[in-house]
Amino acid sequence: MQAAQERERERERAMKFGKRLKRQIEESLPEWRDKFLCYKDLKKLVKLISATQPSSKAEAEFICLLDSEIDKFNAFFVDQEEEFIIRQMELQERIKRVAATSAAAEYGRIGTEMVNLHGEMVLLVNYSSVNYTGLAKILKKYDKRTGGLLRLPFIEKVLEQPFFTTDLISKLVKDCESTMDSMFPAAAAAAATAARDEAVMMVEQRVFRNAVAALVTMRELRRGSSTYGHFSLPPLTLPDADLLHSLQLPSPIPIL
Amino acid sequence: METHSALPVGNLNMQQFCNSGSSGVMSSSLPVLPNTLEEKFPELPDPQHVPLEREIQRNPLPSRRPLFSSPSGFSPDLSFSSTLAHERHTNNTPFVSRSLNAGVSLPSTYLSNMEIFQVPNNFPKDPTEITWCPDSVQSMLNCSDGVIMGNNQIQNSSNKVSNDLHKQNEWWSDIMNVDWKDLFDDTTISESQPKVVCPPAQSSSNISMQQPQTDQSVPCHSGEVCAVTGASSSATTAAAKPRMRWTPELHECFINAVNQLGGSEKATPKGVLNIMKVEGLTIYHVKSHLQKYRTARYKPDSLEGMSEKTATQSEELPSLDLKTGIDFTEALRLQMEVQKRLHEQLEIQRNLQLRIEEQGKYLQMMFEKQYKSTMDKTHCSSTVEKPTTISSDQTHSTAKIDLPEARNSSTDSKITEGFRQVSNKWKMSEVEPSNEKETDALTSSLPPSKHSRINDEDS
Repeated sequence: MQAAQERERERERAMKFGKRLKRQIEESLPEWRDKFLCYKDLKKLVKLISATQPSSKAEAEFICLLDSEIDKFNAFFVDQEEEFIIRQMELQERIKRVAATSAAAEYGRIGTEMVNLHGEMVLLVNYSSVNYTGLAKILKKYDKRTGGLLRLPFIEKVLEQPFFTTDLISKLVKDCESTMDSMFPAAAAAAATAARDEAVMMVEQRVFRNAVAALVTMRELRRGSSTYGHFSLPPLTLPDADLLHSLQLPSPIPIL
Repeated sequence: METHSALPVGNLNMQQFCNSGSSGVMSSSLPVLPNTLEEKFPELPDPQHVPLEREIQRNPLPSRRPLFSSPSGFSPDLSFSSTLAHERHTNNTPFVSRSLNAGVSLPSTYLSNMEIFQVPNNFPKDPTEITWCPDSVQSMLNCSDGVIMGNNQIQNSSNKVSNDLHKQNEWWSDIMNVDWKDLFDDTTISESQPKVVCPPAQSSSNISMQQPQTDQSVPCHSGEVCAVTGASSSATTAAAKPRMRWTPELHECFINAVNQLGGSEKATPKGVLNIMKVEGLTIYHVKSHLQKYRTARYKPDSLEGMSEKTATQSEELPSLDLKTGIDFTEALRLQMEVQKRLHEQLEIQRNLQLRIEEQGKYLQMMFEKQYKSTMDKTHCSSTVEKPTTISSDQTHSTAKIDLPEARNSSTDSKITEGFRQVSNKWKMSEVEPSNEKETDALTSSLPPSKHSRINDEDS
């Protein structure tokens, strides 16, 4: 009885990653949407793999698709990274120039751009993470299905892939943060909370909403899985749960 | 079903590549060049291509192995398939363990030496297009020999290959210096994947060395190109699937060069390339980078120009409705906060994932050790014990696939203990009060049930 219930719950939750991934993709920047893992397709392939028939066509297809997915990630990631490097440096230059002339309008513009750049970079890191998670999951399914050993060595190699080595991007993100801090020194705490609601309505929707969605998805993905095991992550703990709550933007502003 | 053994499969694949024209691959001779380049440039990673590619992938599949077109030194996709095959077959045992070992340990070494990875397979798998010529097949075979021979042989084979490559590269760099403007216009180039060859011998600059060479005074030297050769066969030449990975240092070097030439409008890719003098950097890389650079500069600049007229009126920004300076700053701060938060969580998550994998590896090692010692003791492979209760992929990860999964029960308990510790760690970190504050009623009921399940698993 319990086993049946567990299976039921598992099936229910088994859908979850796929659905969540789909939602994440929908919320993501338009140019990014076809760059994510084709989890559904991979799952279909895994289902096609028969447990008895050795080295079926489906298995070869699976691996082939995996390989090409990783190619896709790498290419996209490295490309974006390059752009971010360029933009970041450009903004730094502009800041230097503006500091000299103290053109207030420009300052504000730079600030916005910098925040958006920051956002996009974080989203790239998120992209990397989401795809990694998907890969890990699908490999687990595959191994389960074939009784195979694909997962471990494959994942090990994934860890070395360009799209997973996000150190540079993370560093750029932190650079952005410190630059922003120096550009816009901390406002008083009181003023901060008061202005928050208004601010919520005003922020640049595109990047911001994606970031919020990413956070929410991350939290939900980690809430719990029936196949919880040694390779699962603990639930997400956000120090500031209120923040996220207040950010569930009600306004149906369409993502462009 | 086909029996796999490392080398013959390699051969087979080469043939098939020759015939079917695989994607990630390389041609080492000039005549082929224009075709491959042409085919690449119009290849934008757009959604239309992706499904198409997938279809094409499915069809000629039986004859294809993504082997050497696979990314980043997933060279032994070959050994994966052998692995799979050997789940079910018992012949070719020596190959299996050999190739599996090679397959598992190899690629990482190989990768760290060569940083091989490729551009996506967005290329039309046109059966008529032949990107191979027999020479490259030969060199690939040589390479695959090297790949299979084992870690310590890597250097030898890579040297051998790199010699061949070097010659090809010299030839290639001559060609590269010619301006290919006639073949394609600049706009497509910016979108295309930069191609290039980086002879493995030289490509000691790994991705890990991105940050690295902090020699600021001579930026160009520090910005060595990250290797870029295709898949397992370092025989990748010009057809230049390979991607460049830019770093801030390299970019600074680029900027210096551009400024020397009088600015982004005046600078030419060739000029920049010559000034930068970075090994492995090709004109294509520079071209596309220059394009990106120009876009980044002139978009904001034009905005600046326009708004300078209206600057006196207000601080109007495209996406923000500015009322007061404070509101605006607050909006920025808020967005920044959320993003920062997301990033922190991502970093934490990533570290966890890495640790999990490490743990997995460690446990597997333990398995193998125990297993080996068991095997030594008992002297034969026919000791069949009860299968373990460990509920993860660890169950399957043994070194010798062709032997039945036999383990000592004492070994089991030791390893199970290890798992218990891991899952206990997770249990403890799960119990976080802040989680309870989540208003999602549905999910709040999950943790308890999850805990109970874990207990079941462990017992």
